[in-house]
Amino acid sequence: MPKRLQVKLENVSFRYPTMGSFWAKREQDVIHDVSLEINAADKLGVIGLNGAGKSTLLQILGGIVSPSRGRVIRHPGVSTSLLALGVGFSPDLNGSDNAIMSAVLQGMTEREARNLLPAIQEFSELGDAMNQPVRTYSAGMRSRLAFSAAMHIDVDLILVDEVLAVGDARFREKARAAMLEKLGGDQTVVMVSHSTDQIADICDKAIWLHQGRIEVSGDVDNVLATFQQACVSNESDSHRGLSSGV
Amino acid sequence: MTLSQALRFIDLRARMALRADASTMYLGYVWWVLEPLLFVAIFYLVFGIILESGRADFLMFLIVGKLPFQWFSGGVNSSSNSIVGAKAIISQVNITKALLPLSKVQESTYRQMAVFSLMFFLLISDGYLPSLHWLWVIPLFLVQYLVIGFLAMICASLVCAARDFAKVIQLFVVGMMFASGIFWDVRSLDPVVQSMVLTYNPIALLIDSYRQVLMFDRVPDVARLLNLTLITGALAAVVFLLMRRANSWLTLRAIG
Repeated sequence: MPKRLQVKLENVSFRYPTMGSFWAKREQDVIHDVSLEINAADKLGVIGLNGAGKSTLLQILGGIVSPSRGRVIRHPGVSTSLLALGVGFSPDLNGSDNAIMSAVLQGMTEREARNLLPAIQEFSELGDAMNQPVRTYSAGMRSRLAFSAAMHIDVDLILVDEVLAVGDARFREKARAAMLEKLGGDQTVVMVSHSTDQIADICDKAIWLHQGRIEVSGDVDNVLATFQQACVSNESDSHRGLSSGV
Repeated sequence: MTLSQALRFIDLRARMALRADASTMYLGYVWWVLEPLLFVAIFYLVFGIILESGRADFLMFLIVGKLPFQWFSGGVNSSSNSIVGAKAIISQVNITKALLPLSKVQESTYRQMAVFSLMFFLLISDGYLPSLHWLWVIPLFLVQYLVIGFLAMICASLVCAARDFAKVIQLFVVGMMFASGIFWDVRSLDPVVQSMVLTYNPIALLIDSYRQVLMFDRVPDVARLLNLTLITGALAAVVFLLMRRANSWLTLRAIG
């Protein structure tokens, strides 16, 4: 039986307007003609160098921005959450209120969200700091709160953007284990990471995004191997170029 | 997001913001009533004492004008930055942007409930006894909520389009303070001018209506209020739908 479609991109391109003064306005292509399908329980890894368009692709999948060209087809009622560090929290609200707001934005009632609080507080190890405004948090504390909230809120499609750089080494290991458990089974995941190990841990399919285009897609091992090979040959090319220039 | 989820979100965000705001100040919630009282005191000093307004009831006249205006100015000013100031949320979830200014309006409405309670207390203390006409405050309150909500959505979108609009909006609010009959009586104007002001300045109409029902025990200008409600309601619906259509554009302008 075919798996239920959650999101499909058809020839999607995206131009990001660069903000500047009105007269200096220019536009920059970030995603070019990308088509892909995400079905229920898929675990898709997205790899690529900085500026390849990975985070923008997640924003398009999450419906946060619309493509400049092409179509996004979304199964009705599919809830989506983008887990990315440094976004999602209002600095003036305390940790608890931010966690509640995250849950409410995913369609929970305030009461349901409040019921989740003890578990989020315990996992994040933030203790009484949950009652302090998030603007007083260190980067590590913010990450722990974001990660803990995301791990306790159920959504159909989780979009993960480089989040395992969370807290200290011990918390990172705990977060990794929680992530493996949460993202296993029937959970649909699209994960962006610079770490090919993390992608290999969690994903079964992958795409390599290069300058906004899908360079290679398919089985995770093949895509990662091709990507790593390309990175290695690029490095040796640039090394040769440097040597010959000296 | 369903309608009930949207309404819950507006209310929850407003309540959380109020709590966060109060927790940053020593006097906390006391500022809700202290700030408007201080404004009234300054206006009374300038227009009542120094410039000698000449009205025996000037203090109450000022209170019933300035306190409802405070809701308008607070709601519009705070909602102007509501979308650009919510980058954290809008870069994470696809949310209808109109909900952000509307939650700011809701926040200012909670404050205004305390301010109106204070206004009723001051009126009664000064000998203005409640009558059935006071019930008109309920529809007036709802119409004012609609007007502020409509302007809040427009202002928040304009600031998204260009941050420069924040300056223009501040000037607009100051201009409205002088143009809405807070420390002068719209009914003392030449009939033609008076009719124009009451027709084209909804805040002047609302302030005059509050005074008619609370101070002079009269029925407000129902025909004009009905017109205002219908026109503002229709325009607010159009702005809401336009903002939904421009949702992604607003996101890009806000997070860019």
